Amino acid sequence: MESVVSLTAVSRRYPRGVLALRDVSLDVPAGQFVAVMGATGSGKSTLLHCAAGLDRPTSGRVRLAGRDVTRLREAALTRLRRDRVGFVFQSYNLLSELTVRQNVALPARLGGPRARPVDEVLESVGLGGLGRRPVGELSGGQRQRVAVARALVTGPAVIFADEPTGALDPTTGAQILGLLRTAADLDRVSVLMVTHDPVAAAWSDRLVLLRDGAVVADGPTPQAEAIAERLRGVSRVPA
Amino acid sequence: MIRQALRRNPWSFLGPAATQCLAAALVTAGLCLMASLDGAPLGREQRQALTDSGIADLGLLFLMSSIYLSMLIVGVTMSSAIRHQARDIALVRAVGATPGRVRRAVAAQAALVAVPATIVGVPLGMLCGRAWVSGFVSHGLVPAEVSFRVHGGALPIALAVTMGTSLLGAMIAAIRPSRVRPAVALADSAAPRLRIGVARTTAGLVLVTGGTVLSVLIADLDAGTADQAGLFVMLAMCTGAGLLGPALLRVAAPAARLLGNTGRLAADTLAVHARGLSGALVPLTLAIAFAAVNLTRTATTTHVTGVAAPAADRWLEFSGTGAYTAFAAIAALNTLITTILARRRDLAVTRLAGGTRGRTLAVVVCEALLVTGTALVVATVVAAVTLLPLLHTALGTWRPWMPGSWLAAGLAGTAVLVFAGTVLPAAITLRRPPIEVAG
Repeated sequence: MESVVSLTAVSRRYPRGVLALRDVSLDVPAGQFVAVMGATGSGKSTLLHCAAGLDRPTSGRVRLAGRDVTRLREAALTRLRRDRVGFVFQSYNLLSELTVRQNVALPARLGGPRARPVDEVLESVGLGGLGRRPVGELSGGQRQRVAVARALVTGPAVIFADEPTGALDPTTGAQILGLLRTAADLDRVSVLMVTHDPVAAAWSDRLVLLRDGAVVADGPTPQAEAIAERLRGVSRVPA
Repeated sequence: MIRQALRRNPWSFLGPAATQCLAAALVTAGLCLMASLDGAPLGREQRQALTDSGIADLGLLFLMSSIYLSMLIVGVTMSSAIRHQARDIALVRAVGATPGRVRRAVAAQAALVAVPATIVGVPLGMLCGRAWVSGFVSHGLVPAEVSFRVHGGALPIALAVTMGTSLLGAMIAAIRPSRVRPAVALADSAAPRLRIGVARTTAGLVLVTGGTVLSVLIADLDAGTADQAGLFVMLAMCTGAGLLGPALLRVAAPAARLLGNTGRLAADTLAVHARGLSGALVPLTLAIAFAAVNLTRTATTTHVTGVAAPAADRWLEFSGTGAYTAFAAIAALNTLITTILARRRDLAVTRLAGGTRGRTLAVVVCEALLVTGTALVVATVVAAVTLLPLLHTALGTWRPWMPGSWLAAGLAGTAVLVFAGTVLPAAITLRRPPIEVAG
């Protein structure tokens, strides 16, 4: 079966000559939860942006939900993201003036599919009864639940999560990670998560470590302590 | 804090600065017209003729109207600029600034913006004044002996007007954010207040009712007095409409739902941004109503009496109307641009949630249509209330008349204005990749 996300020899060079990604190849099958880790500046976020079609690689190929995104035009790419991809960001990226329901209904309002009823999704992320509250009044954990609900409502093939627990306390963060884990296990949604937190990464099936834009390790996710150990290994500045 | 605020939001002060610059120009033009007429070497008879024709008082009349208009429009743009700073104000309150200190800082900002704006505006006003005076002469409204003279007090008077209106607008806007507790303010700025204040609604209703009553009362007065009072009717109605603006926009918002999903999103967004956009509604309504009243009156008079007004009178009418309308229109444009730029991040989030560039822009277009429609309806009501009694007194008719082409031009002009203030800046901000803006 074809991978949901597939990167082949992807490089990304920024205008000032910084090589953020070097020849990265990565395949994520349906229902797999992948954590991408690395030090600040290792290219984690660039990898996520390129894989999600938010940024275009300088060279290499990216396939997303069966389409070659490196060849798609901007509007077609946006529609593909809208219909097949969900996003969860550290900074929530919700419309804080609108209500919870209005935010979750946003993809549908923008022409996307509504695979699941809004109320059912809100119930499943533990926000039943809060639908009419403006997002600006909610706590950080609640806001991130809204973001997860908005990502799930279209019935996506993959969810990209950029430091989804970065602004949350450990308990609240664990609840959000639980929601992503459930989506992967029950709905066969692939999850690609960037994080610097070994405890968050421990929820994943597979751990990818980056250093200086290149993949230095890729394998089944070990325990949190072992993750922290490996992370220290790749973060050490070579003498 | 002042410097930081100016550096952080250079755009938000462009609006107040532009309107203050124009206010200074209008005031200067009025003053120079006065000086030119008063200082002209005229004989006793020529001067008497000027006084009889009402031209002699024109400078003063123009000056007074400019000051009233500036108070309203500079106040509106300034307070919308301060509103966008609510979060910064909450932050400095949280780190220990007293409400008095915040108010002083806001006042200093308002004063700081007024100075360069006036320095640019006064020479601009002199140029306009020169062109205006020569127009008076070439149309035979004043004797050829009248030449352009600079009013000695133009700069200090213009500065007093811009500084005064700017301070007033800023202080009124700063009352709320400086008084609330910082914790509340920080939460408040994340989710703007949705409830419309009772005081605001009451004041709006009082002004609209007062304007209507005044309009009915002056219908029985002589034409000249009614004419002059008409301006006050209009200002009262427009201010009232501005105070009721958020409520009016929220009533209008559901109309967008007819336009499908994009319209539904626009309606939801408009409902929560009604407060900010209503800042644009005041000058917009004022511009449309002002132009409508003056043009319709001229057109109806010609239509009913069958006699066209002399070319000189028409020129006078149009040049005055043009100046005020342009002033109000530029203020509206400013407020609209400020409001849409403050929503850059929201637009980026909409794109991240799967909105193509075209569809995100379509949402903004729907909002623009709603604002245009609301402004047109409100302005028509204001113009009708102002104009009908005047027409009745002067001509004995209740039926205004206007050529279809003027009407079409007015509708198109309003739409172009609103689109230039919303859709154009939105299209420009949407060119940046959304992930760079939202992060």
